[in-house]
Amino acid sequence: MSLTKNREYWRSLDQLDETPEFKKFHESEFPEAMDEAGDQVSRRKFLGLMGASMALAGMASCRRPVEKIVPHIIPPEDMVPGVAVEYNTTMPFGNGAYGLTVRTYDGRPIKLEGNPKHPSTLGSSSTFIQGEILNLYDPDRSKSVLFNGGERTWDDFVVAWRELYTKGLDTKGEGMAVISTSFSSPTLVRLAKEFQKNLPNARWIVYDPISDENIFKGIKAATGRDLIPNYRFDRAKVILSLDSDFMHLERESIAAARGFADGRRVESTEDEMNRLYVVEGALSLTGSMADHRLRVANSRIGAFAAALANELQTLGIQIPGFNVASNDVNFDSTWINALAKDLAAHKGECVVVAGRGQSIAVHALVLAINSALGNLGETIEFRTADDDFLPNANDLAVLKSDIDNKNISTLLIIGGNPKYDAPFEINFKNIENVIHLADRINETSKLATWHIPQAHFLESWGDAQAVDGLISTIQPLIEPLHGGKSDVEVLNIFATGEDARGYDIVRETWESILPRGDFENAWRKALHDGVTENNTRTINPGIQPSGVEKALQYYAVDTASQHSFEIVLKPSTHVYDGRYNNNGWLLENPDPITKLTWDNAALLSPNSANELGVQKNDIVTITVNKKKLKLPVWIVHGMADFVVSIALGFGRDASGRVGNGIGGNAYKLRSNVNSFIETDASIEKDRGTYELVSSQDHGSMEGRPLVREGSIDEYKEEPHFAQEMVEHPPLQSLWKEHKYETGYQWGLTIDLNTCIGCGACTVACQSENNIAVVGKEQVGHGREMHWIRVDRYFEGDTDDPELVHQPVGCQHCEMAPCEGVCPVAATVHDSEGLNLMVYNRCVGTRYCSNNCPYKVRRFNFFNYIKDYPETIKMAQNPNVAVRSRGVMEKCTYCLQRINEAKLKAKQEGREVKDGEFMTACQQACPTQAITFGNILDPESKIAKAKASERNYAMLGEYNLKPRTSYLAKLRNPNPELA
Amino acid sequence: MAQLFPRWTNKTPLYTIIGLTASLVIIIFLFWYYGSPKNTDVGYRPDQPIDYSHKLHAGDLGIDCRYCHWGVDKSPHANVPSTKTCMNCHTLVGTDNEKLLPVRESWATKEPIQWVRVHKVPDYAYFDHSAHVNAGVGCISCHGNVAEMEKVIQVEPLSMSWCLDCHRNPDEQLRPVSEVTNMNWVKPSDHKQFVENWKKEKNINPPVDCSGCHR
Repeated sequence: MSLTKNREYWRSLDQLDETPEFKKFHESEFPEAMDEAGDQVSRRKFLGLMGASMALAGMASCRRPVEKIVPHIIPPEDMVPGVAVEYNTTMPFGNGAYGLTVRTYDGRPIKLEGNPKHPSTLGSSSTFIQGEILNLYDPDRSKSVLFNGGERTWDDFVVAWRELYTKGLDTKGEGMAVISTSFSSPTLVRLAKEFQKNLPNARWIVYDPISDENIFKGIKAATGRDLIPNYRFDRAKVILSLDSDFMHLERESIAAARGFADGRRVESTEDEMNRLYVVEGALSLTGSMADHRLRVANSRIGAFAAALANELQTLGIQIPGFNVASNDVNFDSTWINALAKDLAAHKGECVVVAGRGQSIAVHALVLAINSALGNLGETIEFRTADDDFLPNANDLAVLKSDIDNKNISTLLIIGGNPKYDAPFEINFKNIENVIHLADRINETSKLATWHIPQAHFLESWGDAQAVDGLISTIQPLIEPLHGGKSDVEVLNIFATGEDARGYDIVRETWESILPRGDFENAWRKALHDGVTENNTRTINPGIQPSGVEKALQYYAVDTASQHSFEIVLKPSTHVYDGRYNNNGWLLENPDPITKLTWDNAALLSPNSANELGVQKNDIVTITVNKKKLKLPVWIVHGMADFVVSIALGFGRDASGRVGNGIGGNAYKLRSNVNSFIETDASIEKDRGTYELVSSQDHGSMEGRPLVREGSIDEYKEEPHFAQEMVEHPPLQSLWKEHKYETGYQWGLTIDLNTCIGCGACTVACQSENNIAVVGKEQVGHGREMHWIRVDRYFEGDTDDPELVHQPVGCQHCEMAPCEGVCPVAATVHDSEGLNLMVYNRCVGTRYCSNNCPYKVRRFNFFNYIKDYPETIKMAQNPNVAVRSRGVMEKCTYCLQRINEAKLKAKQEGREVKDGEFMTACQQACPTQAITFGNILDPESKIAKAKASERNYAMLGEYNLKPRTSYLAKLRNPNPELA
Repeated sequence: MAQLFPRWTNKTPLYTIIGLTASLVIIIFLFWYYGSPKNTDVGYRPDQPIDYSHKLHAGDLGIDCRYCHWGVDKSPHANVPSTKTCMNCHTLVGTDNEKLLPVRESWATKEPIQWVRVHKVPDYAYFDHSAHVNAGVGCISCHGNVAEMEKVIQVEPLSMSWCLDCHRNPDEQLRPVSEVTNMNWVKPSDHKQFVENWKKEKNINPPVDCSGCHR
């Protein structure tokens, strides 16, 4: 058991080195004193003001304010004011789709959850899905049609477009071009084809700033067909990721994370676990879950794939079309050998997956390897994508030169932002008419002749196609807040010149999708379910060895060892490609690996930083492709040396009041539209520093065994290893313990074995519980309000550490230390075992937080909600009190959901059923790592989870009796590499 | 030497103490009484935009409360009727009644009528009408005999201690669900027996934890 007992965990370099900065954070409960508030009010003036307002308050409170009740004129049918209604809809995301269930109150959507019937969400969600609510209510969305910056109406645009359209019909669309993102929605495809039919000479450019083009093209090279891959990680026993963050930032990440977790869930010592190998340069969330991780610069992943293919060939597995000679590359041969053997031993039960940043050749080779391993149709399925509009980076470059040559007179941009995210400048001045559909007046809109406000998907009719071909409906949950138009409506007028309603357009498409006989019922059912039945279409293509060979011809394996820096560009965990750039929830949600908030940075390994002579927060100038970018440095253990990872999506100047001016725009470093790796970069230390804010040292708990882990073999040998890790004398209480033996007794477990640390729980909680965003400066003071924080620990070698993620919220201790020290009984226990926070009693002494060993209580240092714009107020959950300045708050186990379920059960004359409702974090969790329920019900999932041998209470040795407990993490190392 | 202070000054400390105590008691009493909902809220009877009489509609005409307040057994909110609800009858009845002018105006202009709220619990207390109505708590228990009010007046303080009084001992306020809106219902002699069965049947066990109402 030496492995488990002697592990040392740390969170940051500062902690390892015990820098003063770290000490400051963990020695005092509230690191910054109250007196350095943002506004300069002296203590004396404060007392004066307080005195005056007390007097006024005394006078005013005698009279109650008059409040109005404003009923409907004609009430909408079936709408009961105050009762939540849920609808199913779909969130389009590139050419994928996330099926959602949306909770609405009195006609306003307030919470998004995954639709359990949809293959891409499976009832779960992600940080991005949760953040969409804030994007809907974003006060900086554009509110009017603009013509050269002046306000116009939609009707003005219709007239203007018809003129252009009629002219266009004569020339068959000569000089016209459309830029759209990729899509597979049946309605959009129908309209785009109609556009191409009516205006055949017009050009159609599919441009995604973060594009899966290489994946699709690699598959096409190997199979000769346009196919969309659907990885079935749930069926895989051995998984190899080559620079693929498949659980987080690659396509279909929710289903992938769920599949991975399903293959890893251990309920008893009989169960087996999958094994994950990750080869990558920049440390990703997927890399943090690896059983074996090899640090290889991203540009050399192709060489690694070739080396692996060679190794497999020597094991007698013929890779079709692969004939690259074995090269003398400096990869760990034991590692590759063990990996190849493991893959070969699991034919048809393993999967190799490469990231979107890798080249077409790598993707073709990876498909060939999968084919040789018998994985096609087993762990990888495909759907045909003959009708899809898939991205093509080259088209945009061609268009740029055509624009430079003044060959384009009308440019239609449907929902993109090429001014910001294209690596080159498009000369919009050369185009007579630029018509731009966008949700805000962004960088591109400012250069457009016509700007049309885009309706959010929660305001629009539409449809989408999932990864397995399942078609789902998009239905509006609210009227467009600012008169926006949906992509469907805009494309329809582009294609036909007709101004039609989104509903009619989508319905027309569906008349050919649904059975003809009983359309009305089938249509209503599709809208109700959000998805259609039985129209998935998966195929199993054969590999064309010649295609793989041809793809590999263009691909030279670089055998030289690496000598210069390379830049790795990744979608941001905060803002993705920049679309969530004005979203406070997502910006403040710490990155799963760096725990950075509110910024992007140049991420370096400790060795690279030493080489450059830089420390964290130092500003460096990155030069690549003759382009420069200044960014502050952040040091990350586990990065490959000589790799600089930068998140895309930052550095915008027209995203809105929250996002403007944050971070640096790394799109401008790209050599072409679709490159994610730039080699031969130079990094130089620049003058000055910039303070990055990370929450990695917040809530530190001083080297106690908080996370517990072991290998699967250790677990099988000693199932109770986690509980035995702490030895303590028999627990004795200072006072008479309360018995919780009747009624409902709520409890929660988090399975550290399946938690991937993505932070979806944190944002879901923020959305559900009206948690305030505090801003970068306040996060720097340790004042973030998140009710769940996800602690990330490094362990082992500082260059190549292993990681553990541990979400920590209020543990609802039965013997809660916070309760005893509250002078005003503002935190008390209820009969169902919940530790309650009574906001109205709280006077803000913060003793409770001082006495909380888990550091999960959050104090409102300011009235963060005071200046909320009207639309943001609409995003608040009406069932949760909004907290003001000076009160403590914390996780309530989603009390509002408990009460709702209890009330419903009572009115139906029954008990609450297990699984009838979920907490917000539990529902959002893509891997279902969180279990919640009544611990007294022996049949409940929670009772079974609590009975698991791996179950342990964090700091249980203090006799706190927390209701939240953890299931210890397991790893599944390859015995040959152990 | 003459005395500097007259004899009566000997009693000054006593009077001072008595005086201070008395004024303290008075001050506390004033705050305790004038600041409490018993004074601030009970008796609140604002003017409404329409001179609507509950006595006429609910009392004399005997219209059930739920005709207008139809959400009361389904939703946390009892629901104030839409203009449409008024117009269901008033397109036929009282079409030239001057008092109904604002209703007809609202109907024609599609501008809602802005009623003044009478009964209010604070935003941080999550009161649910349906929970109470379906448990057999009569309207009269909290709202008084509305069927006799020309203009609605608040008769109960709706304060937390008042809520808790009933949550701790709900027996007196329980009645069959069919009688919930009946303002003239009188407790039968076997009420005790009814309450006993009813509480068992519906598992009536009102929460007295903070979490019952506050989230």
